[in-house]
Amino acid sequence: MKKIKIAAGIFWAILCLLLILVLFPGLNNFSSGISRFPFMKINPNLTGGEAAEQIVMKSCTLVVRKPVFDGLIGERKQGFVQIDWRGNLPEIISDTIDYDLDKKPDFVIRIGRSESSTVLKPLNPKVRKVGISTPTSYGWSARIKIEK
Amino acid sequence: MLDTFILGLSSGSTCLLTCGMVFFPYLMAGSAGTRKIISDLSFFLMTRLIVYFLLATLAWYFGKTIFTSAIFRNYISGILYILFAVMLIWYSVGRNRKPDCPAKIVTTVNNKKLVPVFLGVVNSLGFCPALLLILTKSATQGTITQSYLAFLGFFAGSSLYFLPLPLAGRFRKKKVFETVGTLATGLAGIIFIIKGFTNLIGGIING
Amino acid sequence: MDETVNNPSMKKSFGKSLLYALPMFLITFVFITGGKPDFSDPAGTLAILATFLGMNILYFLMHYTGKTDKFRAIIFIVFALSLSFTLIRNMLEIRHSMSFSQADIVECKIPFCHLVIPMMILPAAFTKSIIFPGTILGGFANISSMAVLWLVATLVLGRGFCSWGCFYGGWDDGFSRLRKKPVIKKISDYWRWMPFAVLLMVAITAALSLTPTYCSWICPFKAVTEFEQVTGMESAAKAGVFISLFLGLVVILPVLTRKRTQCSFLCPLGAMNSLSNKITPFTVKIDKKACNECFKCVDVCPLFALTPEDVKNGKVSIFCSKCGKCVDACSRKAIHYGIKGIPAGSMKKFSRNIFLFVSFLFIAVFSSGAIITVIKSIFNLFI
Ligand code: SF4
Ligand code: SF4
Ligand code: SF4
Repeated sequence: MKKIKIAAGIFWAILCLLLILVLFPGLNNFSSGISRFPFMKINPNLTGGEAAEQIVMKSCTLVVRKPVFDGLIGERKQGFVQIDWRGNLPEIISDTIDYDLDKKPDFVIRIGRSESSTVLKPLNPKVRKVGISTPTSYGWSARIKIEK
Repeated sequence: MLDTFILGLSSGSTCLLTCGMVFFPYLMAGSAGTRKIISDLSFFLMTRLIVYFLLATLAWYFGKTIFTSAIFRNYISGILYILFAVMLIWYSVGRNRKPDCPAKIVTTVNNKKLVPVFLGVVNSLGFCPALLLILTKSATQGTITQSYLAFLGFFAGSSLYFLPLPLAGRFRKKKVFETVGTLATGLAGIIFIIKGFTNLIGGIING
Repeated sequence: MDETVNNPSMKKSFGKSLLYALPMFLITFVFITGGKPDFSDPAGTLAILATFLGMNILYFLMHYTGKTDKFRAIIFIVFALSLSFTLIRNMLEIRHSMSFSQADIVECKIPFCHLVIPMMILPAAFTKSIIFPGTILGGFANISSMAVLWLVATLVLGRGFCSWGCFYGGWDDGFSRLRKKPVIKKISDYWRWMPFAVLLMVAITAALSLTPTYCSWICPFKAVTEFEQVTGMESAAKAGVFISLFLGLVVILPVLTRKRTQCSFLCPLGAMNSLSNKITPFTVKIDKKACNECFKCVDVCPLFALTPEDVKNGKVSIFCSKCGKCVDACSRKAIHYGIKGIPAGSMKKFSRNIFLFVSFLFIAVFSSGAIITVIKSIFNLFI
């Protein structure tokens, strides 16, 4: 029994040694392998959700994302909707947004880029307040807190 | 009632945040077997039920006048949070006091039976969005029975999350779990104090 | 105690040490230079050579002197400093500031670090997604490759990761070595369970809020890497927490206690790594026959992994990071590197040789990128 234990221990140790040896040369392969696991995608609470609608305007494109309510189990009562403005933005952004795509406007948002000010005018009682409003590499993004 | 049951069910995970975070460590800290845990858990759930009934009555009675006032809500819940959080920390520190510790009051205040009761109160007064919703609902609803039913539904839905907790007592290595549980209870106390203070200054933590 | 107990020294002759160092020399050459060094950039080439040679000298010395911790600490601390330097330089170059903007969070461009791992598990199980605003593949410090590195390292080294892999641990390890004698001596080992409590809290809060709560509210290493821009009360409070935890647990307490207090009392990943000590084949063993219970090992252990009771029972606790400090301190060579299954007191040299090879290879290759970057920057200043 003692000998078997010793042999098993040494076997496991050698196996670990081999594992470390292949780790670095194989890192890219292992990483892309692991990235294919079903849970290897970023939660919509962080990405801002998928695009629901794209509106091409004169100099920029407006992207309305799908509202995000994702919770640990099921959906939360409170969530947000992300709006992106991509391309050449005017100094003052002012848009009326229909995030639930029911053809009725839900809020008006007005962003002054240079003074970084954001004013929200809810037209739908489910719209609460501005969460994040920030310049991004592609233009501007805002997350508006909403209720279900 | 079904709608509030579903509401309780869906927000139960948030409930687990306010008290599971406290209750689970507490159970581990005190784990004296499944039986003790079941009795603690029933104390806890009973307290919640009672507090909910009180709330339902109050909501029905005061209607919109008090509970929809954000200032009142923030102040009261802020003060309650700090109060109970300090109790929690006392409790977790108290457990580790050597008999010669000068802070005797701690151990006298620390009545173990009362802990689940405190937790029940803290949790049910958590003023999570869902609860506020029911409060407003009850406050605007006509009869007291409707108000009770709404809270009962919420209680049932959110309590489901706590039922598996008795299994926590089956762990081996009690001592380790006791230590970790006690420390975690202390940490939860700190979190609640922070939450209390931010409520008091009207700020919001965690959205 | 029987003074004639067989206690072979771990020292080797010069020639034998060279022989043991040769495989590391060759393998690190291939891994670090990629097999074909590029001589067109003189500063870069020099930096690679310096890193490669420095590391191999340290490895050689481990065999030649029979001591481990001293030489391990050098590379461990240099790694921590270099990585912080590299990260900060990256931030300054790309963003002209040490802090992240909200845009980086919104665009999911935050470099991933292994301390997030304990918070990822529950959400990954329930929501089938990762709750960190980083990139899955590609880019700097992506989630997949960091996860693979950590996974393999903990599988192989257990909590050895905390002395042979983590690029934060070097900070408190370094500060814990600044004074010769501790000012504060008595700290109850009760507190060593704190990281498990932090782990529990952080895992629950992260799962329920679906945000990495430890990163956004606690992590002391934000102070030396990157943190959220201070734009209001909340971010100011956070920055306050990061800086005070860093000063308290990573600088002041380690200096006063000669212990790695952040790793011992806070880090939730350290707690998780401790659990993985159950899987790894490598361990530290106590030969009760040789031990005279002088408890020198208990005094020097930086992670509170040894108590007098542990020594009397002949068992090192799960908190051990295999740093080798106790092994070096024991005059009777009673505490030693071992492999599970092999009884304490036997095959000491064999166990140490395999463990050193595995752990050193990991830290050498893992740290080389950051260290080369720093040396190159230094060369560039002068050339
Ligand atoms: S305890 Fe945490 S910070 Fe310290 S070395 Fe381990 S993983 Fe790194
Ligand atoms: S230092 Fe060595 S001899 Fe002293 S207690 Fe530790 S193991 Fe035993
Ligand atoms: S027991 Fe020894 S090897 Fe383990 S952490 Fe402590 S000093 Fe380092």
